[in-house]
Amino acid sequence: MKPGAQDFAEVAKRHLDDVHAFLVYLTGDRNVAEELTAETFARALERWRRYDPRRGSARTWLCQLARSTALDHFRAEDRRRRREGRYALDVPEAQEAVFGEGLSPALEQALSRLSAAEREVLALRVLLELDGESAGRVLGISATACSTRLSRALQKLEREVSAGVAA
Amino acid sequence: MSRLELVDDRFGKLAEELRAARPAAPEALRERVRSLGTPAPRRVQLDFNFRRLVPAVGLAALAAAVGAAGVLGIVHGSTAPRRAAVGHSVPTTAAHRGLERSTEKSRAPAQVAVPFSARLSSGPRPASGRLQQYDAALRVRVRDQEELSRRTQDALRLTRRLGGYVVSARYATPGRRGDSELALRIPIDHVQTAIARFSAYGSLLSQQIVLKDLQRRADDLAARIGRLDVEIASIEQRLAGSLATEQRAALQQRLQRDRTRVASLRRARSSTLRRAQLARVSLTMVVGQKPAAVPAGRFRRTIDDAGSVLLRELELLLYALVVAGPLLAIGAAGMLAGRSVRRRSDRRLLERS
Repeated sequence: MKPGAQDFAEVAKRHLDDVHAFLVYLTGDRNVAEELTAETFARALERWRRYDPRRGSARTWLCQLARSTALDHFRAEDRRRRREGRYALDVPEAQEAVFGEGLSPALEQALSRLSAAEREVLALRVLLELDGESAGRVLGISATACSTRLSRALQKLEREVSAGVAA
Repeated sequence: MSRLELVDDRFGKLAEELRAARPAAPEALRERVRSLGTPAPRRVQLDFNFRRLVPAVGLAALAAAVGAAGVLGIVHGSTAPRRAAVGHSVPTTAAHRGLERSTEKSRAPAQVAVPFSARLSSGPRPASGRLQQYDAALRVRVRDQEELSRRTQDALRLTRRLGGYVVSARYATPGRRGDSELALRIPIDHVQTAIARFSAYGSLLSQQIVLKDLQRRADDLAARIGRLDVEIASIEQRLAGSLATEQRAALQQRLQRDRTRVASLRRARSSTLRRAQLARVSLTMVVGQKPAAVPAGRFRRTIDDAGSVLLRELELLLYALVVAGPLLAIGAAGMLAGRSVRRRSDRRLLERS
């Protein structure tokens, strides 16, 4: 059954925070995450007729769109940096409380030291609490590979937190 | 699913802290998303979904194939039975095999002789003016043992009357069955008459006629004989003169060899000419129960024709698959490889970020 026009507003309202949180973790930049969230929902609006609830939940579908939007952004940034030769200089300034209000500084720093690939699996499995199969669908990998990736990301996060506290 | 199931217990505290501080979307972003509006009304006709389209197209193609077979079956099945048509057409190639399940004789005796004669008159005939080898094999079913005996004697008489001879004859009538096998040599000028007569003895079960041109071989043999004759005459002329002893001995040896070769070639040529004069005819007559000769009904013909059309469609499909299969496989492999490369590239990009 195809989703109706009214459903989109409801879905957007319900999953806005999820998509935003996922993109914050993926990009490590709140401003970029806000832009990409808006872009994701604009794309979702265009493609809403193609969404098939039988193939996955709306949240999974939105996360797939969000990841695709973020990848486009990363690619464009990568090209821009190469073109302008500013790769090494264009490091974003450290922002306060990027990954959430109330996080300990050690955890905030540890998260910022993880790669986007590691943070995205944390966001999907820990923050959004998607099951392995749904998270794997978003990432384009199997549930087993997703679990392995999550385990490694958590181990690294823990190491980084310990190192931060020790320092 | 509980949170403890999601994350290893070791990381439970870490996960709790992350969840507790989960970033929330600012009000400005909420307003921005709200202002996107509602999706445009769905355009039903243009809403293609390939996952549904492919099986739908497949089913439609299958239905069309079966429908076409059905229609053609009905159209062809409603026309006259095909066997009658087949019975009147015999290939005119030099070598052919015809199979005829003729039951006309029992149903319409008066019609039997005519179709067979007509068929044979259009069959291969020896070319006039050229030497040809003519081999024919016929298999005819006769009504009963009495008929078998009468027809066998008739075939022998006819062969002799036409100037031929019988190479071998075998006649056996065990129980209610029986058969006779005749190997005949018939002058090639009369072979068509003989075959027409033999074919009319009963139901023609099979007929095979092979024509082979012998003119070239005969001409070649004649030319070689002529060359050797000239050479022999030359040697004889030289031997009539005065020659040294060794030279005379060598020429005599050569003369002897040439004469032997000429004799051999003449025998071969005679054999070739004989083969071109007499056709080899193998006539087999059998007594047996006729197969159930119920003419195919319209329903049966329709089913047969529909089956033939479906078979043809299947052949075409297989042909298309054989031709397009490798291209499709290469395309699919390319798509999979491209997807794999893109995923790897995405992963590297995210690891760098």
